Amino acid sequence: MAEPLQITARGKVALATVMARKGVDAAAIGASLGLTPPTGPLTAQDETMTLIGVGPGAWLAISEYGQAGWAAMLGGKLAGIASVSDQTSGYIVLRVSGEGAGDLLQKGAFIDLDRTAFGVGAAATTVIAHIGVILWKVDDAPTFDVALFRSFADSFRDWIAASAPGLAAPSSPVR
Amino acid sequence: MRLPCPFCGDRDASEFVYRGDAAPVRPATSEGFYDYVYLRENPAGPMREHWYHAQGCRNWLVVTRDTRTHEVFGAVLARGAAQ
Ligand SMILES: [Zn+2]
Repeated sequence: MAEPLQITARGKVALATVMARKGVDAAAIGASLGLTPPTGPLTAQDETMTLIGVGPGAWLAISEYGQAGWAAMLGGKLAGIASVSDQTSGYIVLRVSGEGAGDLLQKGAFIDLDRTAFGVGAAATTVIAHIGVILWKVDDAPTFDVALFRSFADSFRDWIAASAPGLAAPSSPVR
Repeated sequence: MRLPCPFCGDRDASEFVYRGDAAPVRPATSEGFYDYVYLRENPAGPMREHWYHAQGCRNWLVVTRDTRTHEVFGAVLARGAAQ
């Protein structure tokens, strides 16, 4: 039996977009990072970060233990081969997990989130309720992470409230 | 209508911005510029056209689509497509 539905904002995460320079492949990025980024809409992770494929030669990087200067440190490691932009204050990451998490997101997404089509480690850049999102599946609980521009968080929360009536209230304020 | 983005997979057409015929090539000089900007073949049948995946991978695609039936034959990244 799955845990009840929970929607929380992931705090203390540092975020950055990484875009490979012309002619630089994922292997070269991986050699500098110590973690080879996925070449499709997938995730790769080690104990320091998660890399989410958002486009050809483009990734969203997340560090679990957000710290000031993390994106700058990443930019230093990738100097000359990729452009790194700090997105820590730009995106908010919501964690949607437990019973009905997939059903809730499926109400808004135009892509197939069934476990056979969107397994653990799958990622997608798409739109939910007219709001651009990057979402990825963390585990089979199921747990999904959804990154969206922070200024849309209230609108997204309204969509959740309208789409998940009777389901558990967010266990921490979603800001 | 759904379009097969080479990176993202099949996506609803509402995620894309349509630009039109992928055939015209910007001339290096003003010679032929009027034709480049204004003249289009408007074929009834298969056509290679530019679509921008604005709500996805943010890449330009060249999609081959039948203008009569909306049948889509495939899509490639515009950056890799020969004009
Ligand atoms: Zn795409």
